Amino acid sequence: MTLRSAGRLETAPFKLALPVSIWIATLLLVGAVLVALVGPELYGLDPLAQNLRQRNSPPSVKYLLGTDHLGRDIMTRLITGLRMSLLVAVLALAVAAGVGVVLGLAASAASGITSRVFFGFVDLLRAMPGVLLALVLVAALGSGIGPVALAVGLTFAPTFALVAREAYHRERALPYVAAIAACGAKPMRIAFSHLLPNIIGSIVTQTAIIFPRCIVTESVMSFLGLGAAPDSATWGRMIAQASRFFETNPTAVMAPTLALAGLTLCVALIGNEARRRLDPIQRHLAR
Amino acid sequence: MSRTAIFGALAVLGRSVLLVIGITIIVFILLRIVPGDIVELLASEGGFSTGQMEQLRQELGLDRSWPEQLLIWSVNALCGDFGVSLRFQRPISEMIWSAMPATLQLGALSFVIGMSLGISTALAAAIWPRSPWRAVVEALNVWSVALPTFCVGFAFILIFVLWLRWMPLLGNLWLPVLVLGIDIAGQIAKPLLEDIEEARQSAYVRTAQAKGVSHRVIILRHVLPNALPSLLALTGLVLGGLAGGTVTMEVLFGHNGLGRLTLDSVLGRDYTVTQATVIIIAATVVLANGLVAMIGKLLDPGREKMV
Amino acid sequence: MLFPLDRRALLLGTTAGLAGLSLPAFAQTQGTPRRGGILRYAAGGLDTSDFHRHTGSISVPQVIVEAPTSIADDGSVKPFLAESWTISSDGTLYTFKIRPNVRFHNNRAMTSADFLANFERVKARVTGGWLASAMKQVAGFETPDPQTFVIKMQKPYAPLLSLLSEMWIVAPESAGWNETISRPIGTGPFKFERWTPKVELFAPRHDGYWQEGKPYLDAVRFDLSDNEQRDVAIRAGDLHIVNVSDDKLADIVKLPGYTIHPLKDSTWYFWSFNNRKPRPPFDRIKVREAVSYALDKPSYMSFIAGERGIVTNQMVAPGNFFFDKAMHEADTHAKPDLAKARAMLQAEGVNPAATPMRVVSWQNAYAEVAVQMVRELGFRIEHIALDDLGAQRRLGDYDWDLAPMASGPRADIFLRYVRMMSDGPNPVLWGGVQDPEFDRLTLAAVAEVDDMRRRQFYLDAWKRAMDRYYTVVAGHSFQNYASRPEVRGFSGGFTWSPHRVDGGLAFTWLA
Repeated sequence: MTLRSAGRLETAPFKLALPVSIWIATLLLVGAVLVALVGPELYGLDPLAQNLRQRNSPPSVKYLLGTDHLGRDIMTRLITGLRMSLLVAVLALAVAAGVGVVLGLAASAASGITSRVFFGFVDLLRAMPGVLLALVLVAALGSGIGPVALAVGLTFAPTFALVAREAYHRERALPYVAAIAACGAKPMRIAFSHLLPNIIGSIVTQTAIIFPRCIVTESVMSFLGLGAAPDSATWGRMIAQASRFFETNPTAVMAPTLALAGLTLCVALIGNEARRRLDPIQRHLAR
Repeated sequence: MSRTAIFGALAVLGRSVLLVIGITIIVFILLRIVPGDIVELLASEGGFSTGQMEQLRQELGLDRSWPEQLLIWSVNALCGDFGVSLRFQRPISEMIWSAMPATLQLGALSFVIGMSLGISTALAAAIWPRSPWRAVVEALNVWSVALPTFCVGFAFILIFVLWLRWMPLLGNLWLPVLVLGIDIAGQIAKPLLEDIEEARQSAYVRTAQAKGVSHRVIILRHVLPNALPSLLALTGLVLGGLAGGTVTMEVLFGHNGLGRLTLDSVLGRDYTVTQATVIIIAATVVLANGLVAMIGKLLDPGREKMV
Repeated sequence: MLFPLDRRALLLGTTAGLAGLSLPAFAQTQGTPRRGGILRYAAGGLDTSDFHRHTGSISVPQVIVEAPTSIADDGSVKPFLAESWTISSDGTLYTFKIRPNVRFHNNRAMTSADFLANFERVKARVTGGWLASAMKQVAGFETPDPQTFVIKMQKPYAPLLSLLSEMWIVAPESAGWNETISRPIGTGPFKFERWTPKVELFAPRHDGYWQEGKPYLDAVRFDLSDNEQRDVAIRAGDLHIVNVSDDKLADIVKLPGYTIHPLKDSTWYFWSFNNRKPRPPFDRIKVREAVSYALDKPSYMSFIAGERGIVTNQMVAPGNFFFDKAMHEADTHAKPDLAKARAMLQAEGVNPAATPMRVVSWQNAYAEVAVQMVRELGFRIEHIALDDLGAQRRLGDYDWDLAPMASGPRADIFLRYVRMMSDGPNPVLWGGVQDPEFDRLTLAAVAEVDDMRRRQFYLDAWKRAMDRYYTVVAGHSFQNYASRPEVRGFSGGFTWSPHRVDGGLAFTWLA
């Protein structure tokens, strides 16, 4: 038995008896990922093709969800948009989690000035209104997936940093950490080599929470005029553009909004379930 | 009040001040790397030649070195002089002063309504576990995560302004407060509920249960105070998000507020205004967070999480 | 005949006709005007309280300050603060008779000394704006008596009278005269009372206004917030008069009692190529011509303005004096021809699939339509859509290939040509044209005393621009105001000016 596995609380035996809702949510999520991966190639229409004579038209046989203000098929854009939105969200999450967890753990493990400086960065990021941070970054780096993902990611990095800190303190109180420390390991090493794997649960949970927020934040940025390039049909951009025509064409707004809500729900349900199984405290309590 | 508590509180205050300074510097730098400045805006519409643009830059003091500009600005700002809007040649303090009330109103009202709604629904769900309140909390959560505030804003405008004709659009206060309030409630209700339930599992509470203390008393007297630290942490996050939320609402409902002032100034490359508003907004958030942290320290200096 | 007013009357007969098409516009002057009420108006913004420095579309200062001339609905020049004028036979000497009994907001009577002070301020102090180039041509001013003002030009300058419609006469005792005017004292029907930038300008009535009995309104509140929801706001009763965008026009027209007031000069929509630093293969005229065959003008203008969209190839709309029917009918791009476009590209050795094309535009819908049209040819498109300033800045980098743009009404046609001159103000929307021959023709037009010869110079310059595909005009549309049922007596002007000698907010009342 290595010191690492000594730290793990014993898990309850893995039960496959998941509630129905979780099964549905997982299926939908898997379906969504599949659609994102191959959907655009399989489902016929061109997301950019404009039929100017049939703008804002209601659902029909050819256009399953109708058309938007430029006469583009909403269904196709929904499918293409899923891929784009997921891409932006994944990139943003990578930035957020990467920067946030590293900062949070390093700040917690370090002591004295270093710790304060790291936390200072976290607080700095947190204090800057996300919108403004995004504004300036996009203005400096131009629009496009990269800068948008960076902006959104940095906005949420502090959340991950705080979660990492919470988790760090929680884990540190546990006996196995004292054991490792007694063997002479430095705090940083403890943090990144030993605690990190046990913190994954909290990080995953946080991811489930932040993931849809990344998509929504990108949408807000599109609304304010800062979003990704106009060609990319992210759900956020669809919502922002179609909002202007809410009255004449509610489908154009409702479709991506409901899709987003659905995706959120699925991710949230799964995230909850994952946390119940992975999060040490919860596991402990569940016994 | 214990000495550690006071010391901790002062430390927080000190750090808040440092943060404000840090933000000032970062904002300053960011706004100067961004290509395209106010002179180009002024020139883009009228007939400026390159030579004239340079002259204008000199007049506006944009040709001095960055540290020099920063120093001059900071000293003036502390005296309440935030300089002049490059674009409108108006004193910025005047613009901020006229924009502040709307944002404070919107922010404060949204905060109060949102927190009240969130806390009460979480409490209700905790006290009556089998009631629909749990579903309300879940719904609020999904709402705040999945629905962008501007989207909800558009829907509300459609319903309340155009269809029902209950209220005007421009300067409308209650609609954006409603939108932000629900959003805030959604942000805190579920985490709060989970914290309450987590606390309820503790040994301390189980003892009280065994002793036969009433359900409601347990929640209010024993569980809630222990959930307070996380509530305070949530408050911090909510305040941060509010700074961004007001921008969207102010744009949508045409408020003369700090959020919109900031957005306009960034799009208009009016950097002196951006600088002032961003720092003021950020400073407010920092100080509010500091206040929250200080309260947290005073209540529980060791930050030991009970198990 | 020198700059005869009756020539200009030929202008825009078609426009008036078009305006009457679907819009119950001009029948609003029913009933007797009622005094009182505060009108809320939202169209355009205000960038500065020093109106001499204001550039771009100006739509607020005109109720505060007035000018020697005013542009009538047909584009001709009418007397305003100048009661009448004569021009010497060689076209260099302008003698203005100043209107008597005009009082500034502080009740002081206006004299030629005020004219002189303002003209000299613009000449000496203001570095940008349309008037600056005009002032450079001035040889001198004279004030022989308090009611007479004389301008001596170095050579004939055709746009002068039109440009003078934006030479605001501000009282020199206004605060900030020597630097930046912070509170302008003018002669207009409303006073500059309280300005909160990007929020509101509050302008109460000037009781000593020189047009008897006007204005009727107690005050005007200008909403400067540039809110996207203006169309909702007017329906909710928050605003009385708004500038309504083309895509929301259909919604408002349907509402009973609401009136649409079109502007009389058009907004033109065009596709510009990069003319300052063209990138291959778009530096070749044949390639530009090929790309232009993909431009579906009728669909484009129909998208932008529905039935009110006008397709043409010139920078003025049919009905304008400077419009040429023959040139219009010879437009080879009046209808798209994708097959021909592809053939031409092939003939030029251009493989679209292997050719990147960078398009810079604003963040509007018609830009995406334009991009899609070019995409049909198979180019690898990179579309960069930015906000106002961002786009203009990016255009100034001259590292792009195509820009679908638009430009609004102007007091004089020269103000459209000047943007395509080598040293013109803000030439980026047209790709930074630098063509000495084009400059020569334009300047010749400006200095030409005879109307028809001037027109020919302008047309020659434009033909050159077309032959070289500096920019390709898709067409024109007219911007519109919408007003609530209780608004009476309002009409749109030639440009965005809400106050002219023959119409606007001074003639408006609330029923």
